[in-house]
Amino acid sequence: MSTTVPEAPARTPRLSAAHLVALAAGVVAGLVVWRVGLPDVPVWDTTLDALTVPVALTVGAGVGVVVIAATSHRAWRVVDMTVAAVVAVAGGLFLLGMNTAWTPITAPIGRVYPPLPALLNGVWILPGVLAGLVVRKPGAALFGETVAAAIEALTGGLWGFASLYYGVVEGLGVEVVLALMLYRRFGPVAAMLAGMGGGLALSALDLTFYVTDYPPGQKVAYVVLSVLSSAVIAGLGGWALARGLAASGALAPLASGRTAERV
Amino acid sequence: MTATLDAPAADVDTGAFAARANPVAKLAVGLAVAIALILSLDVVTAGTALALELLALPWCGVGPRALWRRGRLLLLTAGAAGLGTALFGVTGPVAGAAVALRILAVALPGVVLVATTDATDLADALAQVARLPHRFVLAALAATRLLGVLADEWAVLGLARRARGLGDAGPLGRLRDHLGRVLALLVVAVRRATTLATAMEARGFGVGGRRTWARPSRLHGRDAVVVGYGLLVAVASTAAGVAAGTWHLVLT
Amino acid sequence: MSGPVAVAARGWGWRYGTRRAWALRGLDLEIAPGERVLLLGPSGSGKSTLLAGLAGLLESGDDGTGDAEGRLLLDGVPARAARRAAVEAGRARTGLLLQDPVAQTVLARCGDDVAFGLENHAVPPAQIWPRVEAALRGVRFPYGLDHPTSRLSGGERQRLALAGVLALRPGLLLLDEPSAMLDEPGAAMLREQVGAVLAATGATCVLVEHRIGGWLDLVDRVIVLEPGGGVAADGPPAAVFATHGAALAARGVWVPGHGPRVPRTPRPAGPVLLEARGLAATRRSRARLGLPPVVTDADLDVRAGRALGVLGDNGTGKSTLALTLAGLERPAAGSLVASRPLLGDLTTPQPHRWRPRELVTRIGTVFQEPEHQFVAGTVTEELAVGPRRAGVGERETAARVEELLARLRLGALARANPFTLSGGEQRRLSVAAVLATRPGVLVLDEPTFGQDARTWAELVALLDQLVAQGSAVVAVTHDDGLVDALADDVLRLGPEPAATRAGAA
Repeated sequence: MSTTVPEAPARTPRLSAAHLVALAAGVVAGLVVWRVGLPDVPVWDTTLDALTVPVALTVGAGVGVVVIAATSHRAWRVVDMTVAAVVAVAGGLFLLGMNTAWTPITAPIGRVYPPLPALLNGVWILPGVLAGLVVRKPGAALFGETVAAAIEALTGGLWGFASLYYGVVEGLGVEVVLALMLYRRFGPVAAMLAGMGGGLALSALDLTFYVTDYPPGQKVAYVVLSVLSSAVIAGLGGWALARGLAASGALAPLASGRTAERV
Repeated sequence: MTATLDAPAADVDTGAFAARANPVAKLAVGLAVAIALILSLDVVTAGTALALELLALPWCGVGPRALWRRGRLLLLTAGAAGLGTALFGVTGPVAGAAVALRILAVALPGVVLVATTDATDLADALAQVARLPHRFVLAALAATRLLGVLADEWAVLGLARRARGLGDAGPLGRLRDHLGRVLALLVVAVRRATTLATAMEARGFGVGGRRTWARPSRLHGRDAVVVGYGLLVAVASTAAGVAAGTWHLVLT
Repeated sequence: MSGPVAVAARGWGWRYGTRRAWALRGLDLEIAPGERVLLLGPSGSGKSTLLAGLAGLLESGDDGTGDAEGRLLLDGVPARAARRAAVEAGRARTGLLLQDPVAQTVLARCGDDVAFGLENHAVPPAQIWPRVEAALRGVRFPYGLDHPTSRLSGGERQRLALAGVLALRPGLLLLDEPSAMLDEPGAAMLREQVGAVLAATGATCVLVEHRIGGWLDLVDRVIVLEPGGGVAADGPPAAVFATHGAALAARGVWVPGHGPRVPRTPRPAGPVLLEARGLAATRRSRARLGLPPVVTDADLDVRAGRALGVLGDNGTGKSTLALTLAGLERPAAGSLVASRPLLGDLTTPQPHRWRPRELVTRIGTVFQEPEHQFVAGTVTEELAVGPRRAGVGERETAARVEELLARLRLGALARANPFTLSGGEQRRLSVAAVLATRPGVLVLDEPTFGQDARTWAELVALLDQLVAQGSAVVAVTHDDGLVDALADDVLRLGPEPAATRAGAA
């Protein structure tokens, strides 16, 4: 039986100059947006510059991730791509299954307390977290979640095309967290954090699309429940599945399979 | 489940004007409409967008029957979300209608895209026209071909687990059984993916940056018309909302 | 095209990153341009690894999947560099055909699938379609360019993959058990196509195959690999088999004239355990699409102490019938009832209505793919799952596990993860796990598929013993050897419903 051992030093990616550059680029980009500020164009009952801080934070994080991804030396091999894609296809099938189960499950509990269905929101993040943990390359979570969502949309999911936007945004949420951990941490805690990133992204979209008219207290509850659910279902669930996969030996050609002891 | 992405179904007229547009153009329409509708949540904007989309349907090759077959579940979702907002929301029925209309208006271009496009053409367009990295696009395309295979394997795994005596434990045991089934499917899927990678590499995939395309995917005049109409939907619906005074930037 | 390729290995070895042992080591050999070599060796001797190495797919170092030593040369150039240079020059030096027909189809339309390799080699678009059509003609492919690959049979998929290789006009053809997963008509067709291709191109060919019977006419040299490294024998087929045939057969290679023999134990027929009358069988997924059942009007008796062989070509519904007899799919029409000796204290006679824990002690099913039925993290746990579900006590369960571990030579693997086992080990485990609940009826779907001669003989001996002890065995197969060695009755499925009647062999 294979047991997990610490990675060999030669294979441990260190905090390289590229990461420092990425961090610096992100901070600079964020600061620039913040200092310049959005124009205070009146947009009916408010002005656009009210959005400066969130936009600055988003731009900063985005630039950082892009730089890390672009400068990473861990290039994708073909097997990384096909495994990420096939995991995503299986994830898309899973999401499609969740589509049919969704309304019957959530309608009754939503009647008890409207934000309560958010307790299941973690299922939507699972493919992204799993792809990220299995492939361990920059962009894997984004790729996995997007392809899974595309499969869901193309095979007749309930939400149609909207799934695709959700997939991209959720995937980015997971990806940002994995990138902030410099693609070095893939344990249960890291997986939960990554799941939470996805959950946060998902609730942001839900608040603009579906949960628009709840009282503020319920909106907060919706976000908290989504994030918790993503930590447990997507984070811990994804981690458990990745571990099971590694134990089966199927991941031997991948980075995540190489942490196992030689047998 | 025997879902495959092989070819558009028989109930769709793939020769229709917009159906023959480049998949990337159809995607752009969906994107334009979605961005316009994210900005505001109101009945007039969403309603106008939906009306303009429905108006264009005859040129998309998706008839009422095909639309009903693909969209009825969507209708249900939109109805449920709208009703929920109307009953539990702070604003009431009007907000509910807005939520429902918006879900439909955002989803409809996608329904058309899915109904009139096959996966291979979509991938060709994404790689050649949208210039997404072709290795990722092709890997994803090759993986979608395993969709039907995986769906079949899922069914076989269910039978095999019954044959091993699993499946009649309590709810918690059933959940565990289900997780085991998911894991088994993933193991089979990853092994297939590894073989697929070998088969693709053996045919020269992944070496160097140069690649030719047996099926060129290009933009034509028709695509400009389609994208133009998408922009028109976005702008006109926003203008209608502003004119009616219901438009309200949702992010603030 | 690139001319026939010369192959040379100089002290070559490869070790996978997750393995302690070398897959191959210290390999020295020369293959002249145009030679056709059959590569033999027991499973685990690194045959597939050598083919992957020749195809230039093994990458060592930090970003690769293992460690290499020595040199592997194609026309004097290291194989990996040769692949890269060939792709960049727009022509292929090697072409590789793999075992799994499903996993090596890349695209959704037949024409696109053949064009895929040409696109990767940056062949000018104007030349692509003529070359695709020529390659499809070359394997006498019966469908057009737009035919969906999802509708192809396994044999047709292999021919399509061969066309994909041919279109690239390689000077070295590498075949990795290309017919292992095909039925005999499909395999025969593939062999014929490969023969025609070799005759037309003169390409060098390296073939790995377990069931070598039909391939011997195509090869002019046999190389036997030693597990762990080195060449055990090398020469013309007749000479190698004359000197090494018996030794190879003992290690599991299917050598012509050295096929395994398993004596049949005489056995008295017992009572009828399952009785099918007018039975129609279908899969749930088919029924949902409104398609008619694949098997109709089957009358048969499954008797204690008898083995029933169910034969038929691919697509005749053998597996579906097996799943129905096993109580896993609901009969589409007709009846399937269990008799009192099998029922025991149950009152419902229809197997598909039994609860899983009631099923496992009465009917056991061995699936074609062992991996489909593994449910536990270790071999020991795997064997214990069934008895536990059936309510057998812990001590009795432990005793059965011990017995099965010893009987099926799985003792050394007790703590291994079932998914990490080799093909033969997985097959033995999948049978053992089903036997652990001591079912009265054993249903097996293609149990000998892709197995080496040694596992085959062990399996047949085990089944023979079970039947002699009074179990009923139903084996669905297209392995005539299995039916000859084991079956008392034969049911031959064909397009005619009247053919689905069991008769004495």
